[in-house]
Amino acid sequence: MLRFEQVTKSYSGGFVALDRVSFHLEKGEMAFLTGHSGAGKSTLLKLISLIERPTTGKVFINGVDLSRVSRGQVPYVRRDIGMIFQNHKLLMNHSVFDNVALPLVIEGFSGKDMIKRVHAALDKVGLLDKVRCLPHTLSGGEQQRVGIARAVVNRPPLLLADEPTGNLDPDLSKDIMNVFEAFNQVGVSVLIASHDLSLLARMRYRTLTLKNGRMINDGLTSYGADE
Amino acid sequence: MSILFQGRATGATAVKQSLWNRFVMFWVHHLRQAMASLGEIWLTPASSLLTVAVLGVSLTLPVTLHLMVKNLQQVSSSVDQAAQISLFLKADTNETQIAELIALLQANPEVADVQFIDKSQALAEFTAESGFGDALSYIEDNPLPHVILVSPKNTSSVAASALLATLQQERYVELAKLDIGWLERLDAIVSLVRQVAIAVALLLIVAVLLVVGNTIRLMILNKKDEIEVMKLVGATNSYIQRPFLYTGIWLGFFGGILTFLIEEVLLWWLKQAIVSVTQLYESSFTLQPLSLAELGYLLLVAVGLGFVGSLLAVRRNISQIEATGL
Repeated sequence: MLRFEQVTKSYSGGFVALDRVSFHLEKGEMAFLTGHSGAGKSTLLKLISLIERPTTGKVFINGVDLSRVSRGQVPYVRRDIGMIFQNHKLLMNHSVFDNVALPLVIEGFSGKDMIKRVHAALDKVGLLDKVRCLPHTLSGGEQQRVGIARAVVNRPPLLLADEPTGNLDPDLSKDIMNVFEAFNQVGVSVLIASHDLSLLARMRYRTLTLKNGRMINDGLTSYGADE
Repeated sequence: MSILFQGRATGATAVKQSLWNRFVMFWVHHLRQAMASLGEIWLTPASSLLTVAVLGVSLTLPVTLHLMVKNLQQVSSSVDQAAQISLFLKADTNETQIAELIALLQANPEVADVQFIDKSQALAEFTAESGFGDALSYIEDNPLPHVILVSPKNTSSVAASALLATLQQERYVELAKLDIGWLERLDAIVSLVRQVAIAVALLLIVAVLLVVGNTIRLMILNKKDEIEVMKLVGATNSYIQRPFLYTGIWLGFFGGILTFLIEEVLLWWLKQAIVSVTQLYESSFTLQPLSLAELGYLLLVAVGLGFVGSLLAVRRNISQIEATGL
């Protein structure tokens, strides 16, 4: 599903954010990406969502070489990837419904079909009763779940999450992770960047560990390898 | 359309729809976005009003000049008396020769009307009206020549002067005279005003484009975060820029309406002054307001300017906002 081949990303000034990173996430697999801040987690996710392009090496999604995707095609690629952000990236002056519907509206959905899908997505994250609320009236965990609903509303085959539990207490974190697990169980590939080691330890999924831009561990028992 | 996953059904296009249905939805969608942009303008009335005001005032000047040209042209075309040619005949011309000349002139296809003024008749008129009656009685011979007044069919100054040149060649004509000097000056002034109007219009069009462009640019910058989010969830540039284009169109439309209103007030205000001037000239001049077709053109131009101005702004600014995301 998602494959990195010797990917290096260096910025002007010589800073190397990723150094010859290779891994392969299978279809329907769920994995964590961990490491200290600055280790390259965000850069790696940016390369997948085409916010950045690798300096050398190649990224493949479903066998498609992302370096062949033109600037104009980038939006269409992003529609196939559900992205969840640490700071939610919600439209604060639009209702929860509008926020979740945004990817559908962009794709040209309207009417009953759209409403049905939005309600289904909000139902999955348990926020169906907040459909008319504005995001700032919701708690942090609820905002994060709105973000998740928006990411899954058009049923993407690949889900990326950047520190989805960053600001949440352990109970809420567990809830959010359960939501991800539920999507994974219906065949969605999930990659979650997180530095919440205790959470990773409890979840026991494959963990990719980055340190100073290099992949130092790729396996199940990541928490032992990290210092 | 999915680039990464062939066969993945995405978007409304994946749902089967009839051609007619899609056609209707296309317009419904655009109408909805146009209305949304209108609402957006309503939400930020201060800056939008300011832009509309600048647009309205800017467009008023060229429109006023256009009306001026239009009304001056009406004046110059209503004055056909001015294009009358006076033929002063040679002193020794006798009556048969005069009759011959008049017949010739009447046969000329370029001549509309011929009027003969006998020299004794002219002297009598002159004696009566000039106040030199006593002095004239001392002159033995009538010093005035016979005069034929010729009205040309085509009263434009060019055609009239051409006719003047040919009549000058007639055998019994001593001197042919056409008083078109002031008509020529009027024509020159009209064309000058028209040139000025075009130059001013071009300058103001550039100004309007810049004003609209700047307003839209500020709106884009205000919505930078929103645009970023939209880009992250896969909105194309053309999707993001569409509401801004509609905003530009609305700004242009309201600017055009404002121009029309200012123009009407201006005409109403100037009407009294113009009427009193034209009454002095005993002219049947009536002030021509903006016609319906001209109002249509004005709105079309205003809307076009709003559209182009916003297009310039979105082209530059929206692609520059990149999703920084994560």
